[in-house]
Amino acid sequence: MATQIYLSLSVKDLNRSIEFFTKLGFTFNAQMTSADATCMIVGENIFVWLLAEKLFQAFAPNQEIADARKTTEVLISIDVESPAAVDEMVAKALNAGATNIGEAEDHDGAYSMPFADLDGHRWNVFYHDEPVVKEQNGAEAANQTQQV
Amino acid sequence: MTKQIFLNLPVKDLNKTVDFWTKLGYTFNPQFTSENATCMILGENIFAMLLVEKFFKTFIPNHEIADASKTKEVLIAIDTESRDAVNALVDKAVKAGATEHGEAEDHGWMYARAFLDLDGHGWNIMYADASLLQGQNAAEVSNHAQQA
Repeated sequence: MATQIYLSLSVKDLNRSIEFFTKLGFTFNAQMTSADATCMIVGENIFVWLLAEKLFQAFAPNQEIADARKTTEVLISIDVESPAAVDEMVAKALNAGATNIGEAEDHDGAYSMPFADLDGHRWNVFYHDEPVVKEQNGAEAANQTQQV
Repeated sequence: MTKQIFLNLPVKDLNKTVDFWTKLGYTFNPQFTSENATCMILGENIFAMLLVEKFFKTFIPNHEIADASKTKEVLIAIDTESRDAVNALVDKAVKAGATEHGEAEDHGWMYARAFLDLDGHGWNIMYADASLLQGQNAAEVSNHAQQA
């Protein structure tokens, strides 16, 4: 079992991205920050590397960097502590230049709202009551999880 | 702070993908499994929702699914408990149809190998001993961590 995850995302302007995510309340590991990269602390064991495109490209040789404004490889869902915190984070994101890509969803104790960041990477901020809703069939559950 | 992360990734063939990751030792949450999706348990609070493309597409209307065999939006790094575990996992992945991606990276404090899964999503499997990190400069660290 993994105890840590690091996602790497490419960004066009590292300083703008740091400013953006700072406004959302995220912090960064100064020891792991350089001119080309920073390590954003999303959770205790959850980190996102924001990489200038040329550095990202170095780790994806022979591949194009996806233009996340047009195509999507991943949707990143992260939880927060309350429905109000979902609204708050998305409001901060939109104020800071994120794109509104959908309305809030509220299903069986799961509340969520998405946004696209400055580079088009898609985030879904969610809250759900513990424990996760039980006794649903698989399709409903999958659907619901997707919407959280 | 976020306590849970769900990465949502499109896959072309859910059964093949489940078979692939099962061979690597991962398990799935049956509660979040349907013919369109499954929830792979990567860590206690780290999950990957594997979604068939038509289902993934419903979450990104007006957007294309990135062809991960040609473009990259994200690179995913997860840790394991030892260097041997890195080797064992990547060897299993390659045997199960993954493509090894780049060379093994060995920086003393960190050891990593990477592969592209059946759909081309990039995974870096790493083992890191943070106690050996002291004294390296940020640029080196960020470089090394990226290569992990």
